[in-house]
Amino acid sequence: MVLDLEQLLDLYRDMWLVRAFEFGLEREFKKGTVPGMLHIGVGQEATQAALAAHLEPTDCFFPDHRCHGLNALAQEKHAGSGQRIMAELFGRATGVCGGKGGSLHSADPAVGNFGDNAVEGSFMATVLGVALAWKMRRQARVACCVIGDGTVGRGEFHESLNLAATWQLPVLYACVNNGYAISTAVGASHASANIVDLARGYGLPCVQVDGNEIELAYAAVAQAVGHIRAGRGPYFLEFKTWRWQGIFSGEFRPPEEVKYWKEEHDPLKLARQKILATGRAAEAAVDQIEADTKAQIERWIQFALASPMPGAEKATANVYVGWEVASR
Amino acid sequence: MTAPTAPARTRTFVQALTEALEVTMAEDENVYLLGEDIGKMGGDFGVTRGLFEKYGAERVRDTPLSEAAIIGTAVGSAMVGMRPVAEIMFADFLGECYDQLVNNAAKLHYMFDGQFKAPIVVRTACGGGFGGGPHHSQSVEGWFLNVPGLVIVGPATPADAKGLLVASIEDDNPVLFLEHKALYRVKGSVPEGKYTVPLRQAAVARPGRDLTIVAYLKMTHEALAAAEVLAKEGIEAEVIDLRTLRPWDTDTVLGSVRRTGRAVVASEAPRMGGLGADVSATIAEECWADLKAPVGRVGALDTPIPFSLVLEKLILPGKDQIVQAARQVLGVRPAA
Repeated sequence: MVLDLEQLLDLYRDMWLVRAFEFGLEREFKKGTVPGMLHIGVGQEATQAALAAHLEPTDCFFPDHRCHGLNALAQEKHAGSGQRIMAELFGRATGVCGGKGGSLHSADPAVGNFGDNAVEGSFMATVLGVALAWKMRRQARVACCVIGDGTVGRGEFHESLNLAATWQLPVLYACVNNGYAISTAVGASHASANIVDLARGYGLPCVQVDGNEIELAYAAVAQAVGHIRAGRGPYFLEFKTWRWQGIFSGEFRPPEEVKYWKEEHDPLKLARQKILATGRAAEAAVDQIEADTKAQIERWIQFALASPMPGAEKATANVYVGWEVASR
Repeated sequence: MTAPTAPARTRTFVQALTEALEVTMAEDENVYLLGEDIGKMGGDFGVTRGLFEKYGAERVRDTPLSEAAIIGTAVGSAMVGMRPVAEIMFADFLGECYDQLVNNAAKLHYMFDGQFKAPIVVRTACGGGFGGGPHHSQSVEGWFLNVPGLVIVGPATPADAKGLLVASIEDDNPVLFLEHKALYRVKGSVPEGKYTVPLRQAAVARPGRDLTIVAYLKMTHEALAAAEVLAKEGIEAEVIDLRTLRPWDTDTVLGSVRRTGRAVVASEAPRMGGLGADVSATIAEECWADLKAPVGRVGALDTPIPFSLVLEKLILPGKDQIVQAARQVLGVRPAA
């Protein structure tokens, strides 16, 4: 598949939104305005833009902990603005979960976002149920879960693939293999550094793609989603990519590896080169995309900072459906 | 609560549970069952017997030995409107899906601020007394008591088993539904058709004025047997069957203790960190002025459950321990 210039520009813009979101968030986190913990998805923008381009609000996705950008894109595409994702990360009342979920538990079913779960792999079991319900109701929808390479070590990975294949469920496994689970290299802790090798035994289509080449990532998601919507069962996609964030804030990887991924194989640089190589886009216009998304993110941050904190009544709200619990 | 409208017949505990599944499946196509060997085989204890033939493999769904996937599937489907009833063959296996119940089912309504519900029921066989050994005999409610958002139900009679299971399926919260294996063959009067027994409401299994015995699951029967022994000594014990273990019915329990001034709490689980600890602590906090004696607490010894029936009998509590605790609370010596 070769994308036309307009599609490329749209995806480039979405990728920049993801990067600007994460850098803006990281800056605020370091200032202390964003509580808790933060895992950013810089370097993985192409996978998120490719997924966001194909998932409908009637589908679902379970985002992982580096998917703020995907969450924001879904919000923007289907609810008009990603600012409520930003506000959620600041723990504000205007956030998608009223500030009760934060970075690791942002959900908005109206845009298909079924929420992250901070126990990696847990939602690999949950996604089966959504897919099963849709299959039982004959609804041609895609139930997607975004997992990391580290998640593969969990038993749920195997329980999930086995059942999705056995029951032929409409599940899209989007595995973002960024090379490391915190500090441990994929190949050092798994039988293969290629996750597709571990998935293939379950008999579902398993495809590995360069997750930093937006055209390849986009085409791979299109293929997978088409397969699932046609009722042909689950599909496993592995995006080979790399995260810029080291262990929290410290770098631990060899300098040549860092240089390759940040300078030679950066998804945004690659996309920019591709756009300029068409000869039909002015460099200034491409630069403007970057500036516009950064300005957009600053507006969302301002929205979050200006938003109220949750009211005290929220502390005990929604523990049970229909039953109150004692408040202080 | 929907009261029964049809006459009652004699049914076993297992048959009562099957009827509960049957009446809810007939009424609501979103109700479906999943678990290990629940299809043609009808489940390890026969609770789903006959339902596969009636509702087919789609709604009576056999699974592999994947407890996390079973509960995850239940939760995910409930998030989009299904009403799954999952069977975990033995409660001891809940460790395999602990995360799904504790971090997922119990929390998603709260952490996503009400945007999702997880109306699942997890039925499971618990309890000892039959030589099942360390991994087929445990009373697991203590593992889950500290989990806000979860409901734990434990019926003692066939009629309650049916009414509470229907209520659990219809409830919008995740319910861990405990079935004591020793009760499966117990017979009792069970109304025909559909009815519910309300959650969070204890039952007075036997009225009395001298002391309150709080029990649940099989211990309700042990408490009733103990009350018979005590009655012969002129002591009238009130037996309260909790029925819902989390959140438990403080009104009924505290109301009774305020009248009797004495309480014994009986559980089959080890005493440390168990439901008996929570009930007795709450009684001590709330009924201090009415209490004439410290609360008595009956539970298993602080050990795993051994295979040998001789040893198991030493570990697990029963009628005799309840009688003994009651006498102690009352300050009376055993009848000669």
